[in-house]
Amino acid sequence: MGLSTPNSRFLSKRRKILQLAPLALLAGCDYSAGGRTTSFLRTFQQFNDWVQSKVFDPNKLAPEYSDNDLTPEDGFRINGYDTDRPDIDIEKWTLTVQGHVQKPGEYTLQQITSLPKRVMNTRHCCVEGWSMIPKWGGTSLRNLLELAGADITAKYVAVECGDDYNTSFDMTSVLHPQSILCYEAYNKPLVLEHGAPVRIVMPTKLGYKSAKWIHTLTVTNEKPGGYWEDQGYDWFAGL
Amino acid sequence: MRHGHEIASLVRAANRIGDYNMTTNREYHHPLIVRLTHWLNFIALGIMVLSGLRIYNAAPIWDFRIPSAFTFGGWLAGARQWHFFAMWLFALNGALWVVYNLVSKHGRMTTLFSRKDSSGILPMLQYYLRIRKEHPPVKKYNSLQKLAYTTIPLAAVGAILSGMAIYWPVQFGWITKLFGNYDTARIWHFVFMALLVLFFVGHIGMVVLAGWGNFFSMITGWKRVKTDS
Repeated sequence: MGLSTPNSRFLSKRRKILQLAPLALLAGCDYSAGGRTTSFLRTFQQFNDWVQSKVFDPNKLAPEYSDNDLTPEDGFRINGYDTDRPDIDIEKWTLTVQGHVQKPGEYTLQQITSLPKRVMNTRHCCVEGWSMIPKWGGTSLRNLLELAGADITAKYVAVECGDDYNTSFDMTSVLHPQSILCYEAYNKPLVLEHGAPVRIVMPTKLGYKSAKWIHTLTVTNEKPGGYWEDQGYDWFAGL
Repeated sequence: MRHGHEIASLVRAANRIGDYNMTTNREYHHPLIVRLTHWLNFIALGIMVLSGLRIYNAAPIWDFRIPSAFTFGGWLAGARQWHFFAMWLFALNGALWVVYNLVSKHGRMTTLFSRKDSSGILPMLQYYLRIRKEHPPVKKYNSLQKLAYTTIPLAAVGAILSGMAIYWPVQFGWITKLFGNYDTARIWHFVFMALLVLFFVGHIGMVVLAGWGNFFSMITGWKRVKTDS
């Protein structure tokens, strides 16, 4: 998966520019005009997050579709905030699990794939409004948390990604059976553009919660933020 | 009684001669709650539609984008914040209006369309299309107005339900199913929005045609009414 050095340099430059893009959008509109309006809306958004957390039913499954309903593999849309091909050495990849866990450390892909597998055709809903139904394969996040002896009474889980993306979840949503550590799509190992080797898939949340290329997972009681959430997208992002 | 009637019509005739504008009376048309919910609805729906069009632009359903002059909220996250704030205002204000109408029977008496009104549709259409010259006899609201004021809240309910279908396609998956699937629910949400906007355009058109007295009566509650009886 090695990208040549000049390409990487270009990417890191592109990344810096792209990270500023939302600021440019903010500057170009009235949204940033009233600081008081902005903070009112952010507060109200937290109220909506709270409502969503109350409405969320941990036992309610997202609809799972038949293979006929699948989005064709070549129509499986690639979407990221930045690069589609970050520098990731899949051979040496491990998942660091830390925070409120009894067995913190690095977990290998083999350890993850030997956990009970779940294959599901669920709808991936982007915050932009489009959606698609890929065939996902992986293991429930709960399985990994149990393997690592995580304190599942802790409130939050945060993930960090190979493209410097990060996001976080409430523990209740993480323990949902369809919240998976995904390593397969369409019965094949995940390709780099879709988050290889391991990504999150949560059909109960908006697409920006299904983080790709994850390398670190933290169990914590202090509410973490996220790349998009810190800029104004809702943190709970429930569906 | 007969005499009294004749005297009254004489007085009326005298009035007509003395005052060529006829007598104008002030009638109390719109109770406070109706006026309050009317303007709150205007604000809420305005935010909902404009921020919704910004959300639409993030992934257009059809081959067109909405010009930014008709959107609100700046970028997608801002538009979503406005949209999910105004949805509460829209729904709760709508609920207040419905409850008030049920309790007070205000709406039932004045604007609710009933079977009796169906015979009045054709004459009113003929009048608006200028096939018929004289205005058909009506009380406060004619049949077409009643039809519009009775069906438009249904479009609002449709907008709220289809909105829930795409806001919560998992938690309220049964509502999403009601509209087909997630993608078709998005289309329904757009259609209900378009109906509400269409109503708004017609509503403004009628106010302009019928005179601004209607407009001010929705602020003060009182309306000047020409009477000759």
